[in-house]
Amino acid sequence: MMSRAKINFTMITIIIGFMIAIQFKTVQQPVARDTRDTWELRDSIRTEMNLQKRLLAEIRLQDERLNKYSSEMEGSKESVLRQTLLELRKEAGLTEETGPGIKLTVRPINQALIPGDSPQTVSPITLKRLINELNMYGAKHISIDGERLVNTTVIRDINGETKVGTHSLRSYPFSINVITETYELAEKMFNRMHVSPSIDDFFLDNLEVVISNPNKKIVIPAHVEPITIRNMEPVDEEGE
Amino acid sequence: MWLPILGLLIGLFLGLSSDIKVPEEYTNYLSIAVLAALDTFFGGIRAHLQNSYDNLVFVTGFFFNIILAASLAFLGVHLGVDLYIVAVFAFGVRLFQNIAVIRRILINKWVSARENSQ
Repeated sequence: MMSRAKINFTMITIIIGFMIAIQFKTVQQPVARDTRDTWELRDSIRTEMNLQKRLLAEIRLQDERLNKYSSEMEGSKESVLRQTLLELRKEAGLTEETGPGIKLTVRPINQALIPGDSPQTVSPITLKRLINELNMYGAKHISIDGERLVNTTVIRDINGETKVGTHSLRSYPFSINVITETYELAEKMFNRMHVSPSIDDFFLDNLEVVISNPNKKIVIPAHVEPITIRNMEPVDEEGE
Repeated sequence: MWLPILGLLIGLFLGLSSDIKVPEEYTNYLSIAVLAALDTFFGGIRAHLQNSYDNLVFVTGFFFNIILAASLAFLGVHLGVDLYIVAVFAFGVRLFQNIAVIRRILINKWVSARENSQ
């Protein structure tokens, strides 16, 4: 009898010990340590500061607009609205743009063409990569073969034809126009595009990309198709 | 007497050397289970010292208390009332009472043993 009680006690103390140890370990879990080194920290600080700068600029812009609204409430409410509308249209890509930039011409490689063979089409993936790269290097406005790229433009393959929005890329050569903020940026982009890997990707489609020297006056047409927005709707405004 | 302590050490060793970790949300349950286990354990020691120890009562009490405490905590979480505090309170009070009784019995034994030896 005595020994059975002892065994029971022992078993239960084992269980208690086990539970306490697990609980201890669970509670003692070290907080996730920050293992970034100085450079990584510096880097993230820079990113955050950039973000802050952008946000401050945005705040300032909105403040200015607010001031304008409130100060010109009586007089020229309409002109302010008109200006805002213009700005928004500009941002959405509904206006023609002129500015410094570069021009890329995509054309088939003559040597690669077998006589009688139709030139290949540019694959949408390659084109998308190129556009991403242009955006990465500071492109402000882009048009492909006269078709303005806006936020909702899709580049895709429909029945073997590459389409930019509703425009088919059928005839070669076609040009990609890019406008940048400043002429210096255009020069930088020109240099960068010369060594860009996505240019080489065009070679797989038997196409080559010729990059024009930076130009001070590149014209990009307005987006003409109506922009359909499916997943947004205006908020019901409750009147003031 | 030494066997249970050895068992405790073995349990601690097993728990620390194994890589089992309880998810953060369930630490409440585990802590209350530990409390229930300790309560039963000291209750068992006390019963043993008072010569009213029953093996079946002890073992069933151990598991039943743990399950009851954990399910009370579970119910509390789902009802939005901190019911596990009830268990903490009950077990805590009983733990102290049991330990006090154990201490008194041990002191009495010790005192009477000393008187006998004199």
